[in-house]
Amino acid sequence: MKDSILEALSTWLAAGRNRFGELIIKGTELCHYHDRDREDLELFTKPEAARLIATLDDADQYRPLKSAPNLRHGWKLVLKDLQEVKLALDFFYPAMLGTLLAWEQQRLAATNFRDTVARQSGMYAVTKHISNAQADELIGEFCRHDTKCLKRILWQIDTERPITTLAHQKFLPPAGPHGLGLLEPEEIPLICCEACNLLVAAARRVVKVSGE
Amino acid sequence: MFAHSSLILVGHGSTVNPDSSTPTHLHADAIRQMGIFKEVACAFWKEEPSLREVLHMLSGDDVYIVPNFISEGYFTQKIIPRELELTGPVTHRQGRVLKYCEPVGNHPGITELLLRRAQEVAPGVPSGETSLIIVAHGTGLNDNSAAAAKREVQRIRALGVYAEVLNAFMEEPPYIAQWDQLASSPSVVVVPFFISDGLHSFQDIPVLLGVENERSVAASRMDVFRQNPYHLRGRTLYYGNSIGTEPQFAQLLLDQVRRFDQEHPRAYSSGLSMAADLSL
Repeated sequence: MKDSILEALSTWLAAGRNRFGELIIKGTELCHYHDRDREDLELFTKPEAARLIATLDDADQYRPLKSAPNLRHGWKLVLKDLQEVKLALDFFYPAMLGTLLAWEQQRLAATNFRDTVARQSGMYAVTKHISNAQADELIGEFCRHDTKCLKRILWQIDTERPITTLAHQKFLPPAGPHGLGLLEPEEIPLICCEACNLLVAAARRVVKVSGE
Repeated sequence: MFAHSSLILVGHGSTVNPDSSTPTHLHADAIRQMGIFKEVACAFWKEEPSLREVLHMLSGDDVYIVPNFISEGYFTQKIIPRELELTGPVTHRQGRVLKYCEPVGNHPGITELLLRRAQEVAPGVPSGETSLIIVAHGTGLNDNSAAAAKREVQRIRALGVYAEVLNAFMEEPPYIAQWDQLASSPSVVVVPFFISDGLHSFQDIPVLLGVENERSVAASRMDVFRQNPYHLRGRTLYYGNSIGTEPQFAQLLLDQVRRFDQEHPRAYSSGLSMAADLSL
């Protein structure tokens, strides 16, 4: 049965795109990009092992954000076919393949930060009181490409206000079939189309502290 | 029957506890390996993929969404529909049909799983001389939170297997911390009515029961369940894992899909199935 995401993955790989977050994809083998030349890697053979590998960092600390640049080293995942590769990639970087395909096909809608905080309820309802300046400063620190999150951001603070505190690597060229061609030739980009719950929780802390 | 359909199991997840999402993932693995659905995914409130992202990773004509939640409440009635932009049990969007099933905790089979878990925790202990306590979270925020636990206690009590069957809660009376005052039998079995073995079942409840002195950081290394029975406060106490870690849970999650189809027989997905129906 047709699986458009699997077909897209096959196309990206055939075009030489084999860097996905901190992973390198070699045929049906995956490992940490830094480990690509190592021969002493621990071998795993089930796609579900990806979930365990992605759970803890090198210091055995929990990774609540899968796109944080702290993927564990020292392992190699050898899989049977591309279907298993796709499943494993969705455990390492959940939903990122499908999100990229939607972006390429120009059907990915981003949600601006103001709209995300406006719909929060319960303990997160206070996040709507964060100022634009506070939001820009928070995002600049919380989403930093080099130390915090490898995703490229598609949203703004609101329709009038872009994020001014992040380096250019955090953003994407215009969507479309040629958009990928403007990135590094090996990169399969991770895309953020809306502020995550970790950022919303951080926004809550900013509002709480500034209100005290 | 579901070869063109996708299934999403929705869990709460956690930003601090690596074990929180494990049962939801394991149930998804089990259902995926059955090969019934085109694809099976999980989505979480506190982990990735988020409810905002998950639909991008699926390509089925229709998508069944089953909350892996114990009770109907804030998450199943407000958060999940809002984040997935559902308009009701059946939502049509961009050529797809999103089918929002009832939470697994509403399934009548939960009662049998609770009974089985209680018997596994205290093997050989005569149930006629034992108090069974079903412990749940409970909260003032949502009246429904405790309803499922109360319903299960009534069902198990009606079976007449245990000397007594009681509710207890972490955050509303009757409090689990007073388990020895609530229960009158010499043996007491406590089963957590939770989806996963997370902070509550590994750390909070053991402290409230008095089997641990303080919350431990390394939740997954706790072996509170392997030290049964505890001789405490003049009783023999048996403490079990959360009910949601029971492998049979996967069957109940799957059955929520079948129950949805029975209740919404005309929730069409593709043009093909509609045409087939019209020809009847």
